[in-house]
Amino acid sequence: MTTELIRMENIDKFFGKVQALNNVTFSVNESEIVGLLGDNGAGKSTLIKILSGVLSRSAGEIYFRGQKANIRNAQDAINLGIETIYQDSALVPQLSIARNLFLGREPLKGPRFINRMDQRFMREQVSLLLKQVGISKNIDPSTPITSLSGGERQAIAIARAMFFESDLIVLDEPTNNLGVEETQGVLRFLKNARDTGHSCIFIAHNIYHVFQVVDRMVVLRRGKKVCDVNPKFTTIEEVEKIITGLIDKPDDPRAVEFAA
Amino acid sequence: MSATMLETTTESPPEPVQTKSLLQRFISRPEFGPFVLLVAEIIIFTLLSPDGSFISVLNISNTLAFTVELGFIALAMTLLMTSGEIDLSVGSVFGFSAVIMWTIYNSGAASLEVGFIIALALAALIGFVNGWFVTKLKIPSFLVTLGMLLIVRGTALFITDGFPQRTWEAGDLWLANLIVGDFRSGDLRVYMTLFWFILFAAVFGYVLTQTKAGNWIFASGGNASAAKARGVRVSRTKISLFILTAVMAGFAGIASSIRTSAANPNSGTGYELEVIAMVVIGGTALTGGRGTIIGTVLGMFILRLMRNGIVMIGVPALAYNIFIGAIILGMMALYAWLERRHNAGT
Repeated sequence: MTTELIRMENIDKFFGKVQALNNVTFSVNESEIVGLLGDNGAGKSTLIKILSGVLSRSAGEIYFRGQKANIRNAQDAINLGIETIYQDSALVPQLSIARNLFLGREPLKGPRFINRMDQRFMREQVSLLLKQVGISKNIDPSTPITSLSGGERQAIAIARAMFFESDLIVLDEPTNNLGVEETQGVLRFLKNARDTGHSCIFIAHNIYHVFQVVDRMVVLRRGKKVCDVNPKFTTIEEVEKIITGLIDKPDDPRAVEFAA
Repeated sequence: MSATMLETTTESPPEPVQTKSLLQRFISRPEFGPFVLLVAEIIIFTLLSPDGSFISVLNISNTLAFTVELGFIALAMTLLMTSGEIDLSVGSVFGFSAVIMWTIYNSGAASLEVGFIIALALAALIGFVNGWFVTKLKIPSFLVTLGMLLIVRGTALFITDGFPQRTWEAGDLWLANLIVGDFRSGDLRVYMTLFWFILFAAVFGYVLTQTKAGNWIFASGGNASAAKARGVRVSRTKISLFILTAVMAGFAGIASSIRTSAANPNSGTGYELEVIAMVVIGGTALTGGRGTIIGTVLGMFILRLMRNGIVMIGVPALAYNIFIGAIILGMMALYAWLERRHNAGT
């Protein structure tokens, strides 16, 4: 059941003399949600930026479906099927949902040189996708992003990643600044994405949110990976202690079994 | 959850697109504000002008002639501003292109056609340089085009020694007729520029709303980094629009020089601000990401009819700027209010 989708092996990252990542090995399986946890400065963002091509690594290798992957810039990562969703930079606020979803990959119709967008197709797809991602209420695809709530914006970004068959969706703090109901919505979208065969990396400060959806948690501390944890056999309190460095692994040995 | 979202969930039936009435959709269009203003302006001036002469055929055709020349620039400026940039050098290019074409023609160095092509090619080059400085050197377009304004105006003055160029041989040339040939019918006098304007407005409006290029223009102005992350070529989009704007300004200057039989190196001074005023009154955002060609067409007529109307009802022409300034402030206040209402609670 567990096929490895991506593997970052022995990753080092230096910013001048400061070592941000120290020999980190990190992997995500197919149809798996992995929570990436750690205190501020633990290296979560650095690791993700290397994966999405925003930063280059100082040492180490990245494997995608077992093949060595050469990720030099953001476009390389997107072409591989890695979609990173940052909180505010993912969407164009003034544009409609439909125009955002297909931005950069607009479906065309009619004579080629006119580049006319197939707006009817775009609208139909958006309606379908919003249902698929788990937004139950009816939102007009021509609604501009500015009229949407934070949770709905996350949903649009997730829907876009799903539509373009991204294998790995990376979400950086997707539940920040969201209300309770909306957070539940985003978590539901994540589960939907997993259940339709996508893998996700979920970075969050709020362990409570992570705990509800992830299949596995990876804890980083000061640039080093501490452990892989199965949320079924541990508690939130225990994970908090691991993050802050009071303990190095959960009490229950079953919680770290797959990590071997 | 925001107040607006709650509203839409509780009030909109399952198929919101079809159930919204035509009137509702019309009112929610960004062009609604300028449209109401234009209608009100026409009604007021018609009632106040002696014998309703404001709406007379003669006055309309007089107003149209110059309005559409400025309109060429305004249409291109709409696309450029939607992409988040601005061009202050259009007034200079307006004067410069006409001077170049007529200088070449009058000196006997080449035919009018060749002069025309050279003038527009130079305009395109000016646009490219503007775009290159803005996108590659990351200098704000306000500053780049301010510098270009001075360079281009200075060049036009320098090569002509400040004197206007003769243009009166133009009358019978096919190119001149194609650009500004006129038709008369009684008081009505219509120039070819009106048809060019309608053509450009239709094409630009179509591009902005229906095509991939339009989507890229909106996205470049709305959130350039998100657009880049999606593979949109933001720099290329912006440079193309700078070129388009400069070429349209050159074309407008040439058309105007043929119509008025004068190519003055000083002509076009101050047009950049008038054009930008037209565009923003029409509803295009100065900050990019929002733009409408229909709005710009309305904005053009709002400004030009105001200039024309206040003279006809006997307000001193020197007071014109007071009205224009008030309209700009009023429209900006309206848009700010609409924007706040739109974003309430998010």
